[in-house]
Amino acid sequence: MDKEAVRDVLFVTNHIDELIRVAAFMEELGEKWGLSVSLVMSLNLAVEEALTNIIAYGYDDESSHTIEIRLEKSGNELFINVIDDGHEYDPTLKADPDITQSAETRKVGGLGIFLIKKIMDTVEYQRTGNKNYLNLTKNIES
Amino acid sequence: MNVKVESSGDYTTIIVEGRLDTTNAGEFEKQMMAVLQDGCTRIILDCTGLSYISSSGLRILLVVQKKMIAIKGQFSLCCLHPGIKEIFDISGFSTIFSIFPDKEAALNG
Repeated sequence: MDKEAVRDVLFVTNHIDELIRVAAFMEELGEKWGLSVSLVMSLNLAVEEALTNIIAYGYDDESSHTIEIRLEKSGNELFINVIDDGHEYDPTLKADPDITQSAETRKVGGLGIFLIKKIMDTVEYQRTGNKNYLNLTKNIES
Repeated sequence: MNVKVESSGDYTTIIVEGRLDTTNAGEFEKQMMAVLQDGCTRIILDCTGLSYISSSGLRILLVVQKKMIAIKGQFSLCCLHPGIKEIFDISGFSTIFSIFPDKEAALNG
């Protein structure tokens, strides 16, 4: 089995339009690393949900902030780290939505972090210095 | 993302193509609300060309479904790609929408 690790990194600013660049980056990476289209879609979704949260709730100043997205594939393990300098926020503590509710009673929203948890195998949070680290892993078929 | 609206008789088909994400969910919501405001009581959302959906897109579909239920209308989805269907499954959305394999089935459903 090929155990050699491949890595890449993308820096984005805290603007929603950056998600367009993220999507293109993930697609390109998927091709380079030989990932399936459905896996790329899932990973893109996890990254989008993480970024959407950070951009919407992470900052209350008007300045531009840089968010770092690190990706690594090692054997059949995939690692994603999303690092931001926004408010301290541990998304792993957020309660899951009740997905058994009917359309009438189902609450609108609150799905983003839940989707990350369902797509990825592990979701860990760490606060170091003034930065939030969201560390995600997924076991993939190699 | 690209949205086309086709009205024919007693139902309206909304064809959504491309990516439905946080960058364009607002635009999608506007277009969906315009169809609702026209008084459509039967809507089929054709997802044949939908390649990606995030929670921002799912959120709007739930809002539309709630509105359609309130007016006793019918909101059906058809032609979801397996990857998209999986997102619906894990979100619990597969049970709160009428999802059909093709448009024909949606019309008969």
